[in-house]
Amino acid sequence: MALIFIRTIIVFGVLLLVMRLMGKRQIGEMQPYEFVITLIIAELACIPMSDISIPLLYGITAMVSVYLAHQIICLIDLKFTKARSVLSGTPSIVINKNGIDDTQLKKNNLNVSDLLESLRGAGYFSFDCVDYALYEAGGSFSALPKQNYEQIQSSLPVIIVNEGKFDQKNVSLTGKDEEYFLQILKGQGCDELKKVLVMTVDGNGNAYCQAKGKKYRSFKLNWEKNAW
Amino acid sequence: MVKTLISIFITLGLLVGISAYELYHVKETFAIFHEALESLYYKTENERASHEDGKIVRKIWVREKRDLHIWIPHTIIENIDYQLNELLGYLYEYDYQDALPKIEILLEISEFIPQTYSLSLENIL
Repeated sequence: MALIFIRTIIVFGVLLLVMRLMGKRQIGEMQPYEFVITLIIAELACIPMSDISIPLLYGITAMVSVYLAHQIICLIDLKFTKARSVLSGTPSIVINKNGIDDTQLKKNNLNVSDLLESLRGAGYFSFDCVDYALYEAGGSFSALPKQNYEQIQSSLPVIIVNEGKFDQKNVSLTGKDEEYFLQILKGQGCDELKKVLVMTVDGNGNAYCQAKGKKYRSFKLNWEKNAW
Repeated sequence: MVKTLISIFITLGLLVGISAYELYHVKETFAIFHEALESLYYKTENERASHEDGKIVRKIWVREKRDLHIWIPHTIIENIDYQLNELLGYLYEYDYQDALPKIEILLEISEFIPQTYSLSLENIL
């Protein structure tokens, strides 16, 4: 039993470390240690149930050990704020007043498309709609919208440039070519495509552009008619 | 907070208590079995062992193994049952040449199993 206890604690610790290293994209809506417990408990319950050669006590000991680890982590979580940030992580502010924080996205193994998807899930269809957006420690997404953000959301924005690369499908959707957008980017001070973090355009010609490490810009393109 | 602390201490106490009892119980049980096997080994070596002597060892094992099912994998117990039954067959035929290696295997198992439950790095890893 002592061996099972120690082995369970080791597996628990390693799994927790791995989940923390994987970032918020792997967690969902749970704290990392809660997710680890879910992963372990499911297996622990099944093995002694299906394999009759293993004494039932082996599974029970391991489960009780997991419970003990959970209680200890809960206690640390409540009492020590520094340890809490190590165990559960801290919220990551991915959009601030300057636009998208690329460093925070990378830290959590996320990209601009993931961020746009999370925004849409929260009911905001453009990067321009929010002042702040963050991934909570548990992986859930929260955003603080701008005043009158509904007015900006008149058409669906699509990604034209994603981390230095054109999205061919979306470029053709606009009815323009890459050269057209390169000229627009030049006009906004982005000489090199690879330095562009993201550029989105909606059907009314409202564009959002951000170079890597720079503040975002939003502007209107002179389109004769609505593209979509 | 107090509830969490109490639950931690109770769980820890329970786990440490069960672990200590398991280590002690497995060691003691196999020590009894080992002792019985040793005396059978000397009798067999001197060609004095009978089928009845083997049955006594088996009786001791059957009595002890009831509790062992809680602590060790059932396959290990099955293996000892199998080796012991073979040994009884050899003793029934007074085949001491084949009985001795069987007793040696059982002696080895009864020494080896308690070691696998000790708190050592190789067992943990």
